[in-house]
Amino acid sequence: MSNRRIRWTFVTLGIALFIGAALELSLGPVTIPVPQLIPDAWSYFQGVHDTNNVVIGAIRLPRLSVAALVGAGLATTGTALQAVFRNPMADPSIIGVSSGASLGAVLTIQLGLSQLNEWSTPAAAFLSGLIVVFVIYRIATVQGKTSIYALLLSGVAFTALCSSIVTLILSLAPLETMQQMLFWLMGGLNGSTWHEVLMLLVFVTVAVGIYLTQAHALDVLSLGEEQAQGVGVPLQQTKQIVLVTSAFVVGACVSSTGVIGFVGLVVPHLLRIWIGPSNRRLIVASAIGGAVLMLFADLIARMILLPAELNVGIITSLLGAPFFLFLLRRQESSVYRG
Amino acid sequence: MEDISYGGVLENIRSEWMRGQMVGLVGPNGTGKSTLLRLLAGVNRPTLGRIYILGQLNSKISPKDRAKQVAYLPQQMPENASFTVEQYVEMGRFPYRTLFGGLDKEGREAVHRAMAVLNLLPFRNARLDQISGGERQRAGVARCLAQGSPIILLDEPIANLDVHYQLDILLYLQGLAQEGHLIVIAIHHLELAARYCDRLLLLQSGRVYAEGPPQEVLSECALEEVFQVKAKTYADPFGGHLRVSYSP
Repeated sequence: MSNRRIRWTFVTLGIALFIGAALELSLGPVTIPVPQLIPDAWSYFQGVHDTNNVVIGAIRLPRLSVAALVGAGLATTGTALQAVFRNPMADPSIIGVSSGASLGAVLTIQLGLSQLNEWSTPAAAFLSGLIVVFVIYRIATVQGKTSIYALLLSGVAFTALCSSIVTLILSLAPLETMQQMLFWLMGGLNGSTWHEVLMLLVFVTVAVGIYLTQAHALDVLSLGEEQAQGVGVPLQQTKQIVLVTSAFVVGACVSSTGVIGFVGLVVPHLLRIWIGPSNRRLIVASAIGGAVLMLFADLIARMILLPAELNVGIITSLLGAPFFLFLLRRQESSVYRG
Repeated sequence: MEDISYGGVLENIRSEWMRGQMVGLVGPNGTGKSTLLRLLAGVNRPTLGRIYILGQLNSKISPKDRAKQVAYLPQQMPENASFTVEQYVEMGRFPYRTLFGGLDKEGREAVHRAMAVLNLLPFRNARLDQISGGERQRAGVARCLAQGSPIILLDEPIANLDVHYQLDILLYLQGLAQEGHLIVIAIHHLELAARYCDRLLLLQSGRVYAEGPPQEVLSECALEEVFQVKAKTYADPFGGHLRVSYSP
């Protein structure tokens, strides 16, 4: 990959992020001119609460921040998991962490715990996501060695298991609870708060930092485990760090917005074609690319049926799945073909 | 190596090699040459016995510290061949990288030197899947050299190479041994093994059949018993090294 192409990819991503953020803040049932965005946001934080200031400061800015952070978290996690699994199809849902986190969250809604404390759903999502990752890891580890194939297959099995239990809970739940669960499961950014922004900021920043420390190890690991051991990559440690980090960050994302599909799959795959396989670059680019995808997906979700609003998870899947199939068909990337 | 065994593949292997030697592992397919290299590289642990690397118990050395002492190139080609030759050779410097760090001056020089020695500089920006099998093999050897470890383990390093590069690489490895490295290679080409290695370890069904200087190990009797071929051995009239002539 030429340096020029890499530089242009980052410039394009930066411009897209800026445009996406401006449109996300400006458009909606109340349209606010772009030049007014910064003064209105400034006024809101100065305590001036007229309609436009509140729309920007209390609704759209936290929503934009949550969308961007969730996109960054999911896309960087997808990048790291694809390197660890040496499989371009890996994304946060493949190791069961998304479905595990969903199960925890749905259980708290069903048991009424979500009403007791605003942190009960995120905490349950983290915990159940982590438990699933831990169980899968234990199953796939024999005599201190973790088989990537066993990890992938048990992830698929646990995803099916957790999804079945979620469906069972849904079918037994009263109508009102069921609607609440369904809305949450479909993935939404409605009602995003500054609390969520703060939580996600901490989790996503720490996770991206951790992934970056593992970037060189992930590069070597993508060559194969023996090659990686030959240059001193601590295999088990690298796998554990990436899996636990992914469980935490996906747990945070799922607890905040529900399950949002395809971001972790499509963004790294697409960027790898443009900027090559180096994970250090790819993690940074995926963070920006994931944020951009989520911002534009949310923009479509909010604007397409105005004044009604779709859940962003529907849009990411509707955009992501055909686009991914198109990419596969064109076979543009030979990254994982020997 | 103190009486090491590995799951029915290797049994009671005992040997001691020194820096400054080039050791060839020879034997028929499936006798455990690659398995022995994997045990030495710390990829697998012996089920019985102990391996010491420069005086330290192999199983007690951390992966990064081991990689600073032992470079290992497996037989398999990289699964992800989308890295450039230069990026691949740079991976040999992994044990020296800091948390977020890139390559230091010494690392860049080691990478450049390794690529120059193996004549890879013209391909430095080519992807591994855009070069020939032989060039990829040379890139793998360059990755090991860039690692700067005193012990280098290579599994079939001259497979896929034309005769020019076979001789070139073996000669270079021999030079490294003379400079104080310990080179251990699994090799099928018996004449080249005899010509370039100081010692050979001949394996038969996971056991050591013979070990020592090539002329002693590759006797006509050993070739018949281990490889089941009739062969005559003689000294090359020009270089004096061992030659093998196989009977039909």
